[in-house]
Formats: sequence, structure tokens, C-alpha cells
Amino acid sequence: MNFNPGDLYGVLPALLLAAGALVLLTSEVFLRPVEPDRRYQAWVAAAFAFAGLWASLAQLGDPAQPLFAGAAVSDGFAHIVAAVVCAALFLSCIVAFSYLESLRATRGEFYALALFSASGMCLLAQATDLVVIFISLEVMSLAVYALCAYLRRGKRPAEAAFKYFILGSFASAIFLYGAAFAFGASGSTRLADLAATVRSGSATTLVYASAALLAAGFAFKVAAVPFHMWVPDVYDGAPAPVTGFMAAGVKAAAFATLVRILVSGYGEGGRWRGLIVALAYLTMLVGNLLAVPQRSVKRMLAYSSIAHAGYLLVAVAAMGTSAPRADAAGALLFYLASYGATVIGAFAVVAIIERKLALSGLGDDLSSWAGLSEKHPALAAAMSLFMISLAGVPPTAGFMAKLTVFRSAIEADLVPLAIFGVITSVAGLYYYLRVVVYVYMVPEAKADAVQGGRLLSAGLAIAGCALIVLWMGVLPGSFAALAQSGAAVFGR
Amino acid sequence: MRALDYLSPYLPVLILLLFAGVLCALIGAAATFLGPKRITAIKETAFECGSPSIGDSHSRHSVKFYLVALLFVVFDVESVFIYPWGSLLRDFQAEGLGWFAYVEMLSFMATLALGLVYVWRKGALEWNP
Repeated sequence: MNFNPGDLYGVLPALLLAAGALVLLTSEVFLRPVEPDRRYQAWVAAAFAFAGLWASLAQLGDPAQPLFAGAAVSDGFAHIVAAVVCAALFLSCIVAFSYLESLRATRGEFYALALFSASGMCLLAQATDLVVIFISLEVMSLAVYALCAYLRRGKRPAEAAFKYFILGSFASAIFLYGAAFAFGASGSTRLADLAATVRSGSATTLVYASAALLAAGFAFKVAAVPFHMWVPDVYDGAPAPVTGFMAAGVKAAAFATLVRILVSGYGEGGRWRGLIVALAYLTMLVGNLLAVPQRSVKRMLAYSSIAHAGYLLVAVAAMGTSAPRADAAGALLFYLASYGATVIGAFAVVAIIERKLALSGLGDDLSSWAGLSEKHPALAAAMSLFMISLAGVPPTAGFMAKLTVFRSAIEADLVPLAIFGVITSVAGLYYYLRVVVYVYMVPEAKADAVQGGRLLSAGLAIAGCALIVLWMGVLPGSFAALAQSGAAVFGR
Repeated sequence: MRALDYLSPYLPVLILLLFAGVLCALIGAAATFLGPKRITAIKETAFECGSPSIGDSHSRHSVKFYLVALLFVVFDVESVFIYPWGSLLRDFQAEGLGWFAYVEMLSFMATLALGLVYVWRKGALEWNP
């Protein structure tokens, strides 16, 4: 083993984000006596997120190389995931700024925790060693648990954070159990050594057990059925900007690691494909079905996030066959980026509605969205755009993303899965368009649901998300090319 | 089977654990069932360094203890990391990684020290804020 200081350059995005978090924590305790106004923190966090984005995009062209004696890797796939995470963090910081200010809830550690969790996500996408994966997973998860409980008033944030913490720790324990089996089978925690053991065909029982347990641990993190029970309560109880960040960032990092473990660890044989196909069927079905009766937009978006995990699992399943593997990985990256932009935008609009509700103590219900188009036509138009993107209607990012995922599934001979995905996404139209119906067609019943003031920064973030969603939908070429270049590491 | 070969060095540990457990259970059971019990009032009192108990043993603890316990765990785990590092430092040096291991541990401890500064300034160490 040898240490090469150049390896640190490979994990630059994670280092930048962690450094930003430390800067914020230090400034929080040393600047507060002189500067009680904490608004600068949002912009410092956004600047570090932007630096992380720049670093991950700058490394994109570099050849793939192992870091730290094979504990991590610096390749296009990880850089794209890191870019998605940093962009999600950047937009979420801007949304959170307006949200927290209007609720007068700007307390110290929000942005530091968000930066810590994002640095865990970036490392998670790069890790190729089960121990490194576990550490990054915990860095990400612990910070997100705390963010869920950030608004301490009321029972729902506490319930959300507690549920997430208990079930998340349980999932981490299952992951560790699987990692222990993998270690027992291969005598190493490196995914490459595990792949060698799988190829040699020895210790098959241990290998199967570890694959099932590791997949179960990550199925929890990506919110796949039947490990989805926590999602509605957590997404509902957490502050809306945090929910958007969770849906975009945690999902991207967890899917990247799931792919890394299955493809790099359990190898080309694709024996794991049946497991992922079954999970994908279940997740698409249950997520879309349970979203239909939801009256709360946040809960609806939570079930929709489960459904989208199902579509992403279709791409993962398509990676089980070697011929279209690079295409499927590209589709997965494109889907993660498009879902991230859409869901952050959608939760930013929810945040604007929610802060009024939070102050008036009302529950989140579709009726508070009625007549939004009359007073805030831009907000209504943006929400409608995000809804039709989530539903997968052209000319939005969601449509192109679904198209590429289902195409890669057909290439991988998973035609029934692709057909099932198309049918369930048509069923999804109902509950997405219901929001649009309320926004445009149901007359306003209550007082204005939007609280004035501090709308500018949230508006900017929403406009940015809408721009990305339209851009990826109308001119997907450059994004698709980026995703394909990132996915090239899985090409043979 | 390779996995069993891998675990076989731990067999003596397992046997020792089993032996210790059985022995404890045996001694405990023998004392309970065979030992004579003649309890008098004077035997029930506290002796040597004990003192008479006051109140219910199920009393409430101040919630402040949780913060102290949490901080203790953080810095306790730090020493858990330092110990193996200290015992392996010569091996690192032999492999030409001495400076790397040293700088690595310094940066780890610097980060933790920053955490301590944060905790201190935040007032988490004040008992009565």
C-alpha cells in the first residue's frame, strides 16, 4: 500500500463540502456575538455547494482511477452523481434561505448539516469498499436525520426524525450484517475482491446472503417497496426544503452505491437481476397505487418518490445484462438528474405554501392549493410544470428520463417490466394532474395560501429548476451526452 | 468450506465463552440453591463503604446528562481510534508510511479539536446555562 497525495484531488468535492461545513460551524460559534444575523450562512453554504459542483464537473474528463489503494474510485459515474448532489444542495440552500427566514427559524447548524450530508453523498458515490461505504452512509444519514427534526416545534418533525433514525439505523445494521457475510465469503471488504470470489464460485451461500442483505439495506435508503414504510411520514414531517434535498440527494447517492455494489461487487453474471426486477415491480405498483388517495401534496410527493425509485430500479435491473449496461447507467444518471431538478422545484413550491400553513397551524391539504393561479400565476405554472415532469409528459425532463430508462429496459430484454412501468406511469397522471386541476380550475376557497415576503430567492431557485426541467426535456442532447460519458465506466 | 476455515481460529474463543458462561451459571445456581439463608435485620443494613439508601432507586435523571454522555461517547471513540493507530505506528513507519499515518492522525485530531471548540463555544459544557 502506498499513499499518493494526488488521491485527495479525487475526493475534492467531498473535501470542499466538509470544509464548508467546518467553516460554518466555526463561524456560527465565533461570529454570533458580533454578528447575530445568520443569513450569510445560506450564501456561504451555496458558495461551497457551487464549488463542489465546479470541482466534480472539472474532474469529469479525467480517466477513471482507483484512490486510496482501491478503497474509493474517481470515475465519471461518481463525478456525475457528485454534480447532481452539489446542484441539489445549491438549489436547496437557496430554497431553505427563504423558508427558514420567513419562519424565523434560522438557527446555526442547518447549512452545516446539509453540507456534511452532501459530503457523505459524494463519498458514497465514490466508495468501492464496504467499510468506506458504511462510513459515508452514516455521514450522510446522521446529518439528514438531524435535518428532519430541524423545526422542533410540534410533533410531526420529531416523529419524522425519530422514525427515520430508528428505521435508518435498522437498515444500516442490515447493511453491516450483509457486509460481514461478504467479508466472510471473500476475506476482504473491497468490492473488487468480492467480485473475484463471486467469479470463482466458492462460498455461494454466504455470497447470496450478503447480496440479499446489502440490497435490503440500500432498498431502504432508496425507498423501494417493501422497505418504504418510513417515507410518507418522514417526507411529510421534515421541512419542505429538506424533503426536496433528501429526495434528490439521498436517492442519487444511494442508487449510485447500489449500482456500485451490485455491478462491481456481485459482478457481471447478473444473478442479482431477478431480485431487482421483483423490487422494481413491487415499488412501481405500490408507490403509484398509494399516491392516488393522498390529499396532502407532501404525502403524495412522498409516494411519488417511492414510485420513482421503482422506475430507477428498472434502470438498475437493465444493468444486469452486459450489452446495454452503459446505456442503462446513462439512463439512470439522466433520470437521477431530472428527478432531482423536478423534485427540488416541486418541494420549493410546497415550501412556499407550507410556511403559511406552518404559521397558521393548518394541515397540508389540496384545498389550500385551490386558486393559486389567480394570485400567483408564475408559481402555479412552475408547479404544473413540475407535476407534468413527474408524470412523464413531454416536453419535460421527466418524459426524456422515463423514455431512456424504458428503452434501456427493452434493450436488456425486460419488455414486461418496461410495459408495466409505462402502465403505472400513466396511472400516475391521475394524482399529478389533480394538483394542476386544483391550482387552475378549483376556485379559491380560503384566504391566500402564500405568505408574502422573502419570495425572491425561492422564486429564483424555482425558476432555475424549471429551466433545467424544460432544458432537459426539449434539448436533452448535452445532458444525455454528459450522462453517457459518466456511464462509460460500465461499458465493456 | 473457505468461510469456516476463516472463522476456525476463533473456535477457542467460542469455547472459552461457553465455558465461562456455564461456570457462571453453575456457581450462581449452586449459591442460590445450596447456600443457607439466615437473614437478620443487621445483615440487611449497608456495610463497609455502603451507605443507607435514600428514596426510590427509580429516580429521574436530569436531561443534561444526555449531552454529557453524548460528548463522552464522541471523545471516547476518538481514543478507540488512537489506540490501534498507536500500536501500529511502527509498522506504518517500517512500510514508509510513518509521516502519512502521523499527518492523518493529526488531521483527525484537529477536526475533533474543532468539534470540542464548537461544543465549548456553543455552551454545551456549561452545567447551568
